[in-house]
Amino acid sequence: MSSVIDIRNLHYRYPNPRVHWVLEGIDLQIAAGEYVLLCGASGSGKSTLCRTLNGLIPHFHGGLLEGQVEVAGLNVRDHPVSELFAHVGMVFQNAEAQLFNSTVRQELAFGLESLGLSRPEILRRVAESAEIAGITRLLERIPHQLSGGEKQLVIIAAALALHPQIIVLDEPYANLDPAHVKRVRQALRNIHQQGTAIFVAEHRLQHVIADAERMVVLHRGRVVLDGPVRKILAQADLPSLGLHSPPVVALGRELEILPLPLCVGELVQALGQMDLPRQLPDLAEGENRISHEQGFRRQSLGASLLQVKDLGFSIPDKPQREEILRDVDLEVNAGECLAVVGANGSGKTTLIKHFNGLYRPQRGWVRVMGLDTRRERVSRLARHVGIAFQNPNDQIFQFQVREEIEVGACTLDCYDATWIDDLIAMFQLEPLVHRSPYRLSEGEKKRVAFAAALGARPKILVLDEPTAGQDWYFRRTLGDLINRLVAQGHTIILVTHDLEFAEVYAQQWIVLGDGRVQTRGTPQKVMADDELMQRSGLEATQAFQLRQVLKHVASKEKTKPHEI
Amino acid sequence: MRYENPRLSGATPETGSRSPALSINLDPRTKLILVLAFSVMIIRTGQVGWLWAEVGIIVGCILAVREGWAYLRWLRPVSALVASWFIISWWAFDLPAAVSASLRLLALTSAFFLFFRATAPEDLGNALVKSGVPYTFAFVLVTSMQFVPIISRKVQNIVDAQRSRGIPLEPGLGLIWPQRQSKVPPILALLAPLLIQAFQLADDLAEAMEARGFGREGRTFMQDFRLGMADWLVVAVAGIILVVAGTGISS
Repeated sequence: MSSVIDIRNLHYRYPNPRVHWVLEGIDLQIAAGEYVLLCGASGSGKSTLCRTLNGLIPHFHGGLLEGQVEVAGLNVRDHPVSELFAHVGMVFQNAEAQLFNSTVRQELAFGLESLGLSRPEILRRVAESAEIAGITRLLERIPHQLSGGEKQLVIIAAALALHPQIIVLDEPYANLDPAHVKRVRQALRNIHQQGTAIFVAEHRLQHVIADAERMVVLHRGRVVLDGPVRKILAQADLPSLGLHSPPVVALGRELEILPLPLCVGELVQALGQMDLPRQLPDLAEGENRISHEQGFRRQSLGASLLQVKDLGFSIPDKPQREEILRDVDLEVNAGECLAVVGANGSGKTTLIKHFNGLYRPQRGWVRVMGLDTRRERVSRLARHVGIAFQNPNDQIFQFQVREEIEVGACTLDCYDATWIDDLIAMFQLEPLVHRSPYRLSEGEKKRVAFAAALGARPKILVLDEPTAGQDWYFRRTLGDLINRLVAQGHTIILVTHDLEFAEVYAQQWIVLGDGRVQTRGTPQKVMADDELMQRSGLEATQAFQLRQVLKHVASKEKTKPHEI
Repeated sequence: MRYENPRLSGATPETGSRSPALSINLDPRTKLILVLAFSVMIIRTGQVGWLWAEVGIIVGCILAVREGWAYLRWLRPVSALVASWFIISWWAFDLPAAVSASLRLLALTSAFFLFFRATAPEDLGNALVKSGVPYTFAFVLVTSMQFVPIISRKVQNIVDAQRSRGIPLEPGLGLIWPQRQSKVPPILALLAPLLIQAFQLADDLAEAMEARGFGREGRTFMQDFRLGMADWLVVAVAGIILVVAGTGISS
């Protein structure tokens, strides 16, 4: 079989001389029509490797490239991006920057116009790739007004229209909710079936392993594992590579099921054909035992810190008033860790902007520590509610990490040096305090932003999508931190569609959908309600589904008459 | 949170028009010529009465294409600009001069507001390329128009993030005075993140465009731009406007 991608002994480093080699001796061949998963922790070189595949490295980014990268038989060093782009469709992480046309149709046509195709051919290919990606009805829409998942599909379709031999995607699922993940996965499966090779860089394995045929693990700029997905997952020591086994895989390995199940359906099938072990493994995901204990310990609720009553909010000056929130009621008590969960666009961020007066209630009211947010200044409320929004780059402006953390407390007139020291220790930022926050990794910036949100010692800490795009190591560190903060008596509100994380670290979920609080309860109780989950665009976590399956199997086992 | 109304635009290849009610299916070049002619007339108009009439015509057109809400929203910051322009020229000249100067500014900006609302940026870009403007130049113009709403959303996000931790980014003089124990003026808390993210966005954008063959030789266009009957009519109207502006109402 001919290789679409042929990489031999590739070394690369960015032009910045202080940075070491990012890729150190990569050998990788990808055949036509393969579906390959590239995984590795943050900083392992995934994005860099992707960018060598269409010549952006070295032509656009510069730097030093040694070894050889051939794409469809063309050496990337000798051919500019404008010759390579039709062979390799690229889907980067930043969706905003990749949508630069004013309609979806024009977006799909852009690359074809670059190729100099005739008008009928452009129209034909636009229609065809929109069909495959399932976005035909979006063709006349404005790309920037689409939901995150739809944007991702448009970018994929634009790449597909070029009829490339391979489509390369850099963390396509990072910001998508479960319903959109499903749509993008389906689109990629369709594309793969048409014979196009797919190369996905992703560290959240569970979204890709069931679709991919081959898995390549990158660690510190080297390919450390490469082979069929099942084989790698069955043998590899994933945690040491900064990766986390999906629950199904972990259980499959523990029960020594062969072939290794990659999704819940496969596991159910395998369980049907085997004798169950006497003792079923604990599926509490390993990392969450602490929080479960805490959940049990939390018997009496603390004082009520925040109340929301009949809150309504619609976009002010739009002719067809679009209601984002209608009749939201909720109460937050001291010392709890609460997760507000819901699909993209369910109004989660709009809701939390009401907690410190960034939005004033249009209907109903919000009270924080007895203060009515309709009358108080944001700066007054900010002492009680610290919010860290999703993008830490929206707030970084100081020259040193320490200044960044204390600036809020300084302007609020409640600077306390020992508290700042405590925060720095708690968030493990000691080695970074004198560094420039701009130069940190995204994960480190997020940690700085979380610490900054606590700078003024607020009673309530709100984290907006804290895990978006972060790897397993970050999630684990953040989880430990949340447990510690809750143990110290802090109140934490997680706002997220990352149910895997929310299941482990939040004791209570509030499901937001259709502008209302759909329900409130423990993660288990919420996820057990299939109809509610579906209606809210959510999907029960794999760990939860497994527990259900095991319970079911165990109960059947009990009732089954013993044969001799 | 900001939401944009779907932009009115010209014809698309298969579906014709997607604009509501009264559609503007003119060639982008025609619209450009018309707005330029109108601008010349506004600049040349001396009498306050005529200036009022010109503002009225533009507002009428804006209402006719159902962009009234967007216009009102846009008017909020612009009216502050016009007011300060009014004060400055009153102080520098006299009241009548101030009235006509600020009316002129209002008419001009409103005319361009209508133009940009009614023209999809890359339609304009493609049409310019067809009339001989270099592709790279036209595209830079077009993409920068495209990214105005994104940047304004970013500004909003930054303001929200900073206010959430107590940095007062409310409009006013407070923006340039350091607050209490802090050493830096709050405006830096807006500008620094904004600039850095704008550079990053520009970089990502350049990369994404490169990856879709931007700047490659031999480009074709999906959309075909030809001047139709309506276009020639409007161009004729623009010509009349120019003649009127040159002779009539200026005196």
